[in-house]
Amino acid sequence: MPPPSQTVSALRSLLAVRFPERTRGPRGGVSAAVRPVDDALGGGLPTGRMTELVSAVPSGGGQTVIAKLLEATQAARQRLALVDGADGFAPEAVPAGMLRHLVWVRCRAPEQAFAAADILVRDGNYAAIVLDLRGCAERVLRRSPASAWYRLQRAAEGGSVAVLVQTTFPLVPAVPWRLVLDTPLSLADVGTPRETMADRLAVRTDRSHAQAIESLAV
Amino acid sequence: MTYAVLSVPDFALHALRRADPGLCGRAVALVAGDGRKARVAEVSPEAAGVAPGLAAALAMSRCPGIILRQRDPAAEVEAHRLLLAAAFTLAPRVESTCGGCCTVDLQGADPARTGARMRLLAAELAGAGLPARIGTGPTPLLASYAARCAEPVLVVSDKAAFLAPLPLAFADPSPGQDGILRGWGISTLGGLTALPKAEVGRRLGAEGVLLWERAAGETARVLRLVEPARSFAAEWAYEPPVESTEPLLFKLRRFAERVALELRGAGFVAERLSLTLLLEDGADHRREFPLPEPGADVDGWLRILNAHLGTVRTDARVAGVRLVASPARPPEKQDGLFDAGLRDPASFWENIARIAAIVGDDRVGTPAPVDTHRPDAFVLEKPAEAVAPSAESPVHPPCGPTLRRFRPPWPVRVVCDAGAPARLEAGRLEGQVRAALGPRRSAGDWWKPQAWSVETWQVEMAGGGLYQLARTDGGWCVEGMLD
Repeated sequence: MPPPSQTVSALRSLLAVRFPERTRGPRGGVSAAVRPVDDALGGGLPTGRMTELVSAVPSGGGQTVIAKLLEATQAARQRLALVDGADGFAPEAVPAGMLRHLVWVRCRAPEQAFAAADILVRDGNYAAIVLDLRGCAERVLRRSPASAWYRLQRAAEGGSVAVLVQTTFPLVPAVPWRLVLDTPLSLADVGTPRETMADRLAVRTDRSHAQAIESLAV
Repeated sequence: MTYAVLSVPDFALHALRRADPGLCGRAVALVAGDGRKARVAEVSPEAAGVAPGLAAALAMSRCPGIILRQRDPAAEVEAHRLLLAAAFTLAPRVESTCGGCCTVDLQGADPARTGARMRLLAAELAGAGLPARIGTGPTPLLASYAARCAEPVLVVSDKAAFLAPLPLAFADPSPGQDGILRGWGISTLGGLTALPKAEVGRRLGAEGVLLWERAAGETARVLRLVEPARSFAAEWAYEPPVESTEPLLFKLRRFAERVALELRGAGFVAERLSLTLLLEDGADHRREFPLPEPGADVDGWLRILNAHLGTVRTDARVAGVRLVASPARPPEKQDGLFDAGLRDPASFWENIARIAAIVGDDRVGTPAPVDTHRPDAFVLEKPAEAVAPSAESPVHPPCGPTLRRFRPPWPVRVVCDAGAPARLEAGRLEGQVRAALGPRRSAGDWWKPQAWSVETWQVEMAGGGLYQLARTDGGWCVEGMLD
């Protein structure tokens, strides 16, 4: 019997041949205006796909990514939805002109966030949807069924929306891209222009669709 | 939370009749079993004197000319897909409960609009040969009761009044339970639920409690959700093969009705149709039709297909037909000269209303600042129809990490050293402060009873993490994380 890794590779190759549309690359992207994030994703948040951004440490820069994404989508005159699982978004932390294209959903529980995201991802009017689950109880999030995530991923695949899920630990099963922010910012960054600071964020790629495709080629 | 159940009584019979034009308006009965054991399972209203359970031979003698048929699984699959497609136009969370029955989670849907839409949907399904009954209620079970009583739509608003007169059979009692309850003189759900649940449990056991809960419509369950259609295609094999266009057009209309509903449920329209005729000799005839205007107009599609079929001559009979619709987003609304508008305004506002019903009216919208320096002051406004171009860059570009608030703020005890926070204790955030920046003092509304003042510090914890502390008359709290 071949080792499990070979079996998995063979299965992936077979799936790639049988279902080429499932293993295709992203159809363009929505720039997050954060160079390390865009570079890691090959040009921006992939549309029709889900990306998970894990803030593994406090003050890793996850909220700055949202602020910059707001700026980038406003510049491109695209609409952004923020499903705020723990109601943590602070509008005063972003210039007022960068909020006019935002639809902010202030949830009281993760269940509400899942229900709202499930509706928004099928809407067709949004360029990007951020599902921010940081601040939600880990116990509740771990109880969320994998089927809810698969359902969300399938819904995203049918459309042209980029879905960014923000978490504090790896949560989304079978997500094509998972990036990790694992270096905390310091007080010295407080006076730094946000743009400069965002470009210095330490982003580690934990899982990448491109890597999966390369492994298939191997 | 509200659920809707779409149910088609005598589903197998209706599925068969909508698949075969020769059965329209005729006395038809579905039989189960073979030979002398064949018995009528479902019967059309035209078959006078025939009832389910009757032997097939007796049915033929009672109603001369009655057509006896077996179930057609392919026709049932096609009819059930139509029902599912209809359910997805109500809400995205749909369960395929059983053949001819779907349950829809209507969470967040506007009751007034959904009620009107259900009536339209029932009429549309009836026009497509599938007379569905639609019931809504606070639990899937209650909605299924409502669907059984609906003509064709029933919305249960007063649960007790609705359940009281329903016969006991709705709660599906076992024969033993039925006998006991009839002995007690109870024949309705209202009669059973008038008895205390605990007393019913004492006399009839755990099964009796379950029966009582079913009678009260209290039984809740998690829906096993299905995904909406991802390909918009339909195919049928003719047995025997056909030689004229009438059967083709009949079947294509059925396909078009279903595919149009599937497209609508997924928020798409068709931009192109593809028709394939599978011929008896193994060849096929395929033709693409780019639609003049992307849409889901069944009559428009049929006009195009009819015009084409009138010109087609094939060398062999047609053994099968396939129709595929290429999905596209509805045509974009024309933008203003300087703004980017909504792609699909109806869907946008409907979804905003649906989310508002989930999280609350005051918790969804576009945040806008208010004219004050009070922390966390903003209003939520109705989202704009159009995204205006960016304003000029702010005079003072934002600096530093972005605040993420803790709502409500975390109370904390702060030990100060030389006036600056040095250690946080007795709260959700504890530990030594490595560095602190502040204070930044602000105050306002001093001429009003709601006067406020706050002293803000930004601190870096020894274990990592930047936080914003606030000191008010009420003490210290952690306002949020700088992230």
